[in-house]
Amino acid sequence: MLLACLAGALLTCALAPLLTRVLGRDAGWLLAVPLLGAAALIALGYDDAAHSPAEPTPAVVESLPWIPSLDVGLALRLDGLSLVFSLLVLVIGAAVLCYATRYLERTDRVDRGKHAGFYALMTGFAAAMLALVLADDLVVFYVAWEATTLCSFLLIARSGDGAREPAIRTLLVTVAGGLVLLAAVTVMIVATGTTRISAVLTHDVWGGQPGLTTLVAVLVAVAAFTKSAQFPFQAWLPDSMVAITPVSAYLHAAAMVKAGIYLLLRFSPVFSGVPAWTVLLVTAGLVTAVFGAVAALRRYDLKELLAYSTMSQLGLLTAMIGVGTTAALSAAVVHTVAHALFKSALFMGVGVIDHNAHTRDLRKLARMNPRMPVTAAIMVLAAASMAGIPLLLGFVSKESMLAAFLDAPGPAWTPWLLTATAALASVFTVAYSARLVLGALGGRRGTMVREAPVTFWAAPAAGALAGLVLGLAPFLLDGLASAGASAAAGSTVEKHLAVWHGPVPELFVSLAVLATGAVLVLARRRVHAVLGPRAFPFSALDGVDRAREGTIRLGGVVGSWTNSPAPARHLAIPAVCLSVVALLAVWRTSELPPVRIAASEPLDWLLALLIGCGVVAMMGARSLISAIVVTGVVGFSITVWFFDLGATDVAMTQLLVEILTVCVMVLLLRRLPARFSSPGARRRVVALLVAGAAGLATTAGVWMLTGRREASPASEYYLTHGYNETGGSNLVNTILVDFRALDTLGELTVLGVAGLTIAALLHGRRPAADDPAPIDERSPVSDPGTNTVFVRTAAWLLGPVIVAMSVILLLRGHYEPGGGFISALVGGAGFTLSYLAAPSDERARVRLPYLWLIGLGVAVGTVTGLLGYLDGSFLRPLHPSVLGFELTTALVFDVGVYLAVIGVILAAFNLLGRPPSDTTKVLPGEPEPGASGPDDPPGSDAAEGTRTEVRKRRRTARRNTPADPATARTPHATHDPGEVNPR
Amino acid sequence: MSSAVIAGLLVFGAVYLFMQREMLRVILGFVLLGHAGNVVLMAAGGSARRHEPFGAPGDLSTVADPLPQAFVLTAIVIAFSITIVMLVLAVTGRDEDDDTEADPEEARS
Repeated sequence: MLLACLAGALLTCALAPLLTRVLGRDAGWLLAVPLLGAAALIALGYDDAAHSPAEPTPAVVESLPWIPSLDVGLALRLDGLSLVFSLLVLVIGAAVLCYATRYLERTDRVDRGKHAGFYALMTGFAAAMLALVLADDLVVFYVAWEATTLCSFLLIARSGDGAREPAIRTLLVTVAGGLVLLAAVTVMIVATGTTRISAVLTHDVWGGQPGLTTLVAVLVAVAAFTKSAQFPFQAWLPDSMVAITPVSAYLHAAAMVKAGIYLLLRFSPVFSGVPAWTVLLVTAGLVTAVFGAVAALRRYDLKELLAYSTMSQLGLLTAMIGVGTTAALSAAVVHTVAHALFKSALFMGVGVIDHNAHTRDLRKLARMNPRMPVTAAIMVLAAASMAGIPLLLGFVSKESMLAAFLDAPGPAWTPWLLTATAALASVFTVAYSARLVLGALGGRRGTMVREAPVTFWAAPAAGALAGLVLGLAPFLLDGLASAGASAAAGSTVEKHLAVWHGPVPELFVSLAVLATGAVLVLARRRVHAVLGPRAFPFSALDGVDRAREGTIRLGGVVGSWTNSPAPARHLAIPAVCLSVVALLAVWRTSELPPVRIAASEPLDWLLALLIGCGVVAMMGARSLISAIVVTGVVGFSITVWFFDLGATDVAMTQLLVEILTVCVMVLLLRRLPARFSSPGARRRVVALLVAGAAGLATTAGVWMLTGRREASPASEYYLTHGYNETGGSNLVNTILVDFRALDTLGELTVLGVAGLTIAALLHGRRPAADDPAPIDERSPVSDPGTNTVFVRTAAWLLGPVIVAMSVILLLRGHYEPGGGFISALVGGAGFTLSYLAAPSDERARVRLPYLWLIGLGVAVGTVTGLLGYLDGSFLRPLHPSVLGFELTTALVFDVGVYLAVIGVILAAFNLLGRPPSDTTKVLPGEPEPGASGPDDPPGSDAAEGTRTEVRKRRRTARRNTPADPATARTPHATHDPGEVNPR
Repeated sequence: MSSAVIAGLLVFGAVYLFMQREMLRVILGFVLLGHAGNVVLMAAGGSARRHEPFGAPGDLSTVADPLPQAFVLTAIVIAFSITIVMLVLAVTGRDEDDDTEADPEEARS
């Protein structure tokens, strides 16, 4: 039944936009029906439970699994307190929806859907509030709490231009409270081990741990304060009255702010004895009550006045819950109902006046002549209830509150102080109620304002009349009040409400309040003269704004620490952090296992010295060329070290990569500045310090963590079983293609992606223009054709040798040093040689579809892997015997490696080695050299790429040639006859 | 001990180059860092046993560990491709290989 009600509310929310599109503003009538239906269902359901004799505290419980692994469920529980609040939420919600049908402007057929957002959010708000008050699961409760925050934010934000800032301020305060609630919820779940609210409330952890209990009590109280606008979080409530009246009415009477009161009442059984809870609630509540009441007296805007009044009334409720006796809790429940009735009626009544008079400023209304008898009656009745005038519900509730204050536990002075403060707030309440009514009644002369239709005032009239009826016959509320109070107190409470209790002390307090209030009303001009000009020295709104600006500034400051295009800053952060961690670890480590196999041979130290020299030379290099050259010193030293360590394959790979890296860099020489800048002293010192720390940390880490154990089991396995299982004697190669082929396949893919990245980058963005090299035309080496004759001859002779070597290395890789990686690098070196030997960039182009090669390599590797399924698993090598020869699919896999690696190398040379700034060669209308050469494989990627490139260059040429002479210079390597140089 | 010193030297150079303005020097820093990573991997396998791991060796106490070698072999090739990608990034886009915007004081000097 509860789940059905909640589902119904959500469904209403989902249907609201559709209905609004059909019916326009009148959709509110239909949307109110399910809410009233749910209210009836809930009331009947609770009645059933209350009449079953088995239950001492009646409750309806329903549950739906949500996150079973965390034991979080959509658990709903309807007890007395939930009953009171869900009835308020649904009935007031329905009333506000009916009221909105006349408050909202009429829409014509075209923009019928204008109010769709309003109705969807209002019904969504009601659904969220219903979920909140019915939830028996802390997680569900929290989610519903945040949902109400969001709904109210959106409802305020959509109320016009001026609403944006107040909406954001509201959101900031309430979301901050939501985070506090999250903390409270988390602590509760961790402390009790359950998410069920009913189980948490009866858990015995609260009695045993006063510290924990106090912490959670404070967190819950602060969360409720933000929601219910209690001091010091009160600013958002008057601020948010920029929202349209139906929203304000719902927000102030039944939803949002009542969520905080509900939270306090719900957890009252656990925390009511905790001193921090009592002090916090009573102090904040009474301060807010007096502050709000005084502030309300100074307002001219009727709605703003009501907003401060809400704050004040909620303050009384909060203080009441803080007192915590059964009498206090039952008084709080009754006053919650009374407040909901009179406050919704007042807001809607002010809305009617505002709608018809087009103002709600009481100074302007005084110059008008409102002839609105019904609205005036509504305002008088509701305001009288708020002021606590006898025969209205407000009198009954206020009197029970005063009685509870008079009976407050604690030192002897407490009841007197509390009663006096509450009475003071009530005196001001009488005064501002009168101010409200007198303002709403308006003047006797001026523009005449006509009464609204019955459909408009029906909803507020119902609220005001309910206050009168329940005030005359308060016993009608006995059942509801007793049920609510029992749930809030955690024990059975029988509340008997009556108008006349005999000559009890609270009656005299009430009379004194009314009398003093009447004096204030009579002397209202003088009171206003005293209060009016006195602004408060600080504004909480400014506080919220300052906090917000401060947060944004702090974010900016934190962001600016890393907001830099300089790589240095980004790269320094991990270096520093890792160094600190490593050095801390060194400092904290006291005992290490002994070094077992520390063997450093003299050659190692020689190489370390060489590497050190290379590194220092790299650091000090001032020109591009010298930096590239000394990089080789380090690389080749490491190559020798690898040979010395018995890692032949590794050393060969390193050697080839070293050569190829230098070749790639040479291609870029002319596109980069030839000389490096000299770093400033500060940068140098910082860099040296950071680098020193990182180097020290590395040395310490390697020294401490390596060489202190025998060979690993994996190593022993490969050494003893590798040959027998794979038939390959090159164990490193067998690891690559047999044992850990999946790793290698992954690496091939990475290589392929790198190749694609290069291609994409160079196709998509033009490389930087190169610096023209000055060429002495008289020099015998100025012609690249004759200049390269030796290299060409060498390439011609060596080319076939290199290709043959490459194939041999590939085939023998399983048994001897070699394999896919090494052979591909050798092959790549061959292509590089042919590139370097070519007299021009254009002729050098090796026309192989490199992207296809990369894809083919990965595909071959994958297909070989799939073949492995014939023998059980992906990438398991097969060993078929063909014509007596023992073969292995691992070799095929190695071919895949070969293709991918050579594809990447070709991509790099083809793309980086293309004519750097050939805009001058391809002038518009000229035939394009090399665009569709006879040796282009048809449809190959290279040719495809070239064509698009040329097309693009033509465009840039048109753009650049007159404007940018830098891009129009002829590169030195393109002196072929037939090339046109316009200069 | 020597591998620890070599790794430390390489990281020292790498981090120093990271803190420079030119992209090419940063790339060279990455080249050094790649070397350093490989040295650490080899050191993890131990540098006392230095015989090449071929066939089915009888005496395990002198044969080098093949596993880090396999790791390092592929790491070298991957580092090579990453170096090329970074080099391409250095020459595409802005013309300046330099972060002068971030450091106007040094740019003037």
